[in-house]
Amino acid sequence: MSLALYQIVILAVAAFMLYQGITNYFKRQSGQTVIKLFIRIIVWGGMAIVVAFPSISNSVAELIGIQNNVNAVILAGFLLVFMMIFKLLSAIERLEQQISIVTRKDTLGEIRGKDTNQDIS
Amino acid sequence: MDFPTLQTFIVVPAYHEAAVIQSVIAEIRAAGYDNIVVVDDGSQDDTYKSARATGVTTLRHRLNRGKGAATKTGIEAAKLLGADIIVTMDADGQHDPGDIARLIEPIEKNHCDVVLGTRLKNPVGMPRYKIWQNKIGNLVTWFFYGLYVSDSQSGFRAYSRHAAELINTKTDRYEYDSEVIREIYLYKLKYMEIPIQVRYTEYSMGKIHKQSFANGLKTLYKIIWNLIS
Repeated sequence: MSLALYQIVILAVAAFMLYQGITNYFKRQSGQTVIKLFIRIIVWGGMAIVVAFPSISNSVAELIGIQNNVNAVILAGFLLVFMMIFKLLSAIERLEQQISIVTRKDTLGEIRGKDTNQDIS
Repeated sequence: MDFPTLQTFIVVPAYHEAAVIQSVIAEIRAAGYDNIVVVDDGSQDDTYKSARATGVTTLRHRLNRGKGAATKTGIEAAKLLGADIIVTMDADGQHDPGDIARLIEPIEKNHCDVVLGTRLKNPVGMPRYKIWQNKIGNLVTWFFYGLYVSDSQSGFRAYSRHAAELINTKTDRYEYDSEVIREIYLYKLKYMEIPIQVRYTEYSMGKIHKQSFANGLKTLYKIIWNLIS
């Protein structure tokens, strides 16, 4: 099996990213979750497999009904990026809501136990 | 027929309203309401100091969280202070406190849980673009939240205690007004729409311009996002 230069480069990058993700997870570094590891394996592992075995993309193209294998890969990439952005925006939204809840708790803490129309600082 | 005396609280979310907040509070008092909760939503100007100087209950968000978040904080505060009826109104002076009595009357008489002040039933002096903007807002609210009201973006509203306990909004900014409509629909709360007067002063118009088209798009995006996320 002979590999072109671009395949070697992408395989090296993918291997590094996978190694980093797996070691981060097992070292239990902060912010590392199973889902994060899973996504990393899917993204970089998938990329490595497609680069190492380009014929696989033909099967994917056939499976989802797209004739050109390159188009199938690009489409799959777009979907992945979209999912990641979606997840990111959801996380930001959750954080925004949590900030509002904390801000409200902090503000209402001033009022609890005090009477109406008192100066509340 | 006499109705039991119910405690009415007026909630005023305020952001950068130092120039007018004292006159707004004075007008509310002149209309006969002393239970006033001002929530300064992290203003950089003297809104908090000015409101506090009047002696009303003044709260402050350490961070700016948006009109919806500030309104919710004010409603929670009013509940803690024993409110039976809660009225929300804007701090820029566009709402006339003289309308409060008409807004709370149906709740006092137990005819409904929520009263929505509506500008579109009496749009005298309302800029034409604003009328269309509101109509689009009404359609979007109806499409996504299932209830058509004549002014889904009005901040001048009254809630019974029962409604204030049930309504649980999550959004922080201008989409809050539409979310309340969704809650009314979900909990099958009885509501009425009462025409209100809006005073389009140079000051309040300046504020309205700031929250016009771009904010409308943001609100639409947020409504859609909240449905799919």
